[in-house]
Amino acid sequence: MKYVKKIMFFIFTTAFISCNSNSDSKKIGLLYWSSNNTEEIEFARYIVDNWNKEHPSAKVVFQPVPEGQSSEEIILAAVVGKTTPDIYSNMWEGDVELYARAGTLVALDTLEGFKKFIYERCDSAVIQEVTSEDGHIYQLPWKINPVMMLYNTNIIKSLGFDKAPKTYSEFFEAAKRFQKDSDSDGYVDRWFGYSEVLVTWWQRFFDFYPLYLAASNGGSLIKNNRAVFNNEAALKVFEFLREVYKRNYFARERLSARQDVFLSSVIATRFTGPWEISHSEKFKPAGFEYDFQTMPVPDDHRGSTYTYGDPKNIVIFKSSPNPQLAWKFLQFILSEENDLKFLEITNQLPRRKMIDENPIYSSYFLKNPKMKTFAEQAKHVKGTDQSPVLKEVFDLISQEYEACVIYDKKTPKQALSDAEKAVNLLFLK
Amino acid sequence: MKLRKYFFYIFLGIGALTFLYPFIWMISASLAPENEIGNLIFLPSTISFGSFFQMFDKIPIGRAFLNSMLVSSSVTIGVLIFGSMVGYALSRLEFRGRDLIFYIIIFTMTLPFQITLIPQYILIVRFGWVDTYWGLIIPYLMNSLGIIMFRQYFKTIPQDLIDAARIDGCNELQIIFRILWPNSIPALVTVGIITFMASWNEVLWPLIVIRDEKLMTMPQLVTLFAVGGRAESQLGVKLAAATILALPIVIAYFFFQKYFIQSMASSGMKE
Amino acid sequence: MKKKITPYLLVSPYIIHFLVFVAFPVGFSIYLTFNDWNIISPMKFIGLSNYKRLFNDAIFWKSVFNTLIFLMIHIPLQIIIALFLAELLNQKIKLRGFFRGAFFLPVIVSGVVVTILWQQLYGYDTGLLNRLLIKIGLGKVGWLTDPSWAMPSIAVMATWKNVGLYIVLFLVGLQTVPLQYYEAADLEGATHIQKFFKITLPLINPTIFMVVVLSTIGGFSLFIEPYVMTGGGPLNSTISAVLYIYKQGFFYYHMGYAATLGFFFALIILSVVIMQKKFVEKDK
Repeated sequence: MKYVKKIMFFIFTTAFISCNSNSDSKKIGLLYWSSNNTEEIEFARYIVDNWNKEHPSAKVVFQPVPEGQSSEEIILAAVVGKTTPDIYSNMWEGDVELYARAGTLVALDTLEGFKKFIYERCDSAVIQEVTSEDGHIYQLPWKINPVMMLYNTNIIKSLGFDKAPKTYSEFFEAAKRFQKDSDSDGYVDRWFGYSEVLVTWWQRFFDFYPLYLAASNGGSLIKNNRAVFNNEAALKVFEFLREVYKRNYFARERLSARQDVFLSSVIATRFTGPWEISHSEKFKPAGFEYDFQTMPVPDDHRGSTYTYGDPKNIVIFKSSPNPQLAWKFLQFILSEENDLKFLEITNQLPRRKMIDENPIYSSYFLKNPKMKTFAEQAKHVKGTDQSPVLKEVFDLISQEYEACVIYDKKTPKQALSDAEKAVNLLFLK
Repeated sequence: MKLRKYFFYIFLGIGALTFLYPFIWMISASLAPENEIGNLIFLPSTISFGSFFQMFDKIPIGRAFLNSMLVSSSVTIGVLIFGSMVGYALSRLEFRGRDLIFYIIIFTMTLPFQITLIPQYILIVRFGWVDTYWGLIIPYLMNSLGIIMFRQYFKTIPQDLIDAARIDGCNELQIIFRILWPNSIPALVTVGIITFMASWNEVLWPLIVIRDEKLMTMPQLVTLFAVGGRAESQLGVKLAAATILALPIVIAYFFFQKYFIQSMASSGMKE
Repeated sequence: MKKKITPYLLVSPYIIHFLVFVAFPVGFSIYLTFNDWNIISPMKFIGLSNYKRLFNDAIFWKSVFNTLIFLMIHIPLQIIIALFLAELLNQKIKLRGFFRGAFFLPVIVSGVVVTILWQQLYGYDTGLLNRLLIKIGLGKVGWLTDPSWAMPSIAVMATWKNVGLYIVLFLVGLQTVPLQYYEAADLEGATHIQKFFKITLPLINPTIFMVVVLSTIGGFSLFIEPYVMTGGGPLNSTISAVLYIYKQGFFYYHMGYAATLGFFFALIILSVVIMQKKFVEKDK
């Protein structure tokens, strides 16, 4: 019996101590969560150290978001478990509306000096994009990674083109010339491009969605709780992609089990973002050259070519005891000088207007010419519509995408109409 | 007659091969250099631990192993203790409501988990046990099958042993742990192995309750690694993760094969 | 009077656990089915909307259908192979322990390991199966990419994983058949096959039934294999009911709807198991 008592005492003491230490950590200044990407952690450290030097009485503590399946899930777990930080800087634009409507985010436009700040940083289209349905703004645009067409310069030249394909017909022509069965086993083993044939909702950010934005000049998927994507542009995109798979210009199989298929010239193009640059520089074979270009558009397309920017924004949680102070810290992160530091450390574009013309950043772009292409694209970049069920919308579109584009079981018209119906059902409560 | 024997051995041999080859291939492939995996049939040309090093780099598999050990051991100990407590009460003691409890236990065994999954998660949220070990351990501390097995086994223990202990002044708990347990080793081993294995291999519940990588169990971590984007272009790393995941149980299996098989077999019979 | 309290003390942890983790969830689950809730916003009462949605949810019904297809392939396959191998093992052969150990190995290994392995077997381009098929002159098969092959492929894999357990269970059952029956049959000159079908099979009926029920219940919880291997595709041909429920509840956070699906699916399972029991009892 004495044994049991001792054990119980030990267990309770441990539990007591661990409970207490949890509540202690909440009393330290501001808690800032950054993403857990190595470079962003480095940047966060830099920022926080500098801030703490200048504001010793209002210290900021930063933590990288706990590692998990996806940072979106971690944030949800934090909201549910009431362990949210004051500030979080890697919030995907599509997630914000859900949290805003649940009342967990601070309406930034109610903070002093916000309107002026955001009009200086962003142009009106972007501001419109991040405004919630209730008219408030719950997120501050931070960074973008535009999706563009990566291409193998030497292969394009060898196919007889002096520029990478810009329109759908040019794309088909180049793809036809590149397609080959090099080992004569009866199966094609060179494809012009590749996109994962997964039905996962976010996979569409690298095929359907940027192409749709390009074809529709930044059109929406949802507006006022209705699906508005069943239009000409989406139709053309579905038709384009379906043809591409039908003619086996894109592989239907999962090539991701192999080594990087772009660097080994198994494919010649890929729809991807600036993160590809550092990867390619590290692993490219000798003599390999590549560059980026805008997404292909329908032949009759007019105007600039838009794309998806994978925007990540900063939010302040309502649980924060001092939002005004958090806001001051935010402005510090996003100052011109710190944006430059961000660019240099992480090679990701801050979402501020005219970044390609602002002289502060010109030396960086001289050193990184490929990033200049992205900076120019930044003028025509769109994020997502503000809706709490955005993930599900993409999921439903993905399923029709799979049925039509990959398996050719439905016509594009049918697929889009079915997707529209399914999405509208979501709003029917 | 001899022909028939050969016939048997051939089929058994094919069978054994079918069941063993994939594992041999997995170990081979995880030790092979990345570019050979695609064409591998039996053995690689050289042994390379590259995939393993990369895996250790990418995911905290060691930590996950410890998490699994902690959770599975705690659950097993809990099930053994509480299971024998209830099993003893149901088999040896007379009290009102005994039959009712027995039927409740049978009922919970037939209840499909699909119906309690969501509310159990919500409970865990309300208790603040999301991303904690408690969330993984507490819901599994009571195991109906374990209780039934203990009850069955305790019934076979001679009443005299228990009576003698009572005369010596033992209370009920002491009877369970000092008298029944030493005489119920088969039951303890059986329930222990089944519980430990089931807990170790459980993935759905950890996927729901644990989001923080530091707390993930081993199968959960490997699952997410295989499904998520981080292992995508590297087959060797995925296979290395699978190998490491299989290793602990397979090693235990090598030593305790007899017990494993007997346990699972008798649990099936009880159903 | 201490004796009277002690049994209650002993079972009290179980009772508490049962009330908290079984009774309350079942009740709350039913309550949830009438609400719309995503955990972070307040609950909204919506009456029978979830049920309406369930009946119109093509994907849910497909997931139930998929699960049934899985069972219809998996269970017969499992019984035939397990019986066959158990019968072989039951003969006087050497190395029985080794064979039994080999067959049982996949049972104890985590489902994740098995899934990752078989993904490599089933891969379209670099998978072992297809490479073999090409070598012997046949074409590749889209084991996991063809909607008609995907679920059967998963069923075969599940059989491979679990058959060891059932071999062992059948072995136990086979060994309960009294040897005299076989000896009597030998005297009449019966062949092995005749003995098997006329003596063995009828006598191990209870074991067969047990295997069917266990496989059914296990099959209804199919989750990790489609989750890892195919994500439910292609064209929703492998999405199992549990996977769909998981998606609705823990991916979209439609807690009310997920609870409705779970509840309804649990009813389906119970009815199937009851039907199976009735079917067997009729025979008796």
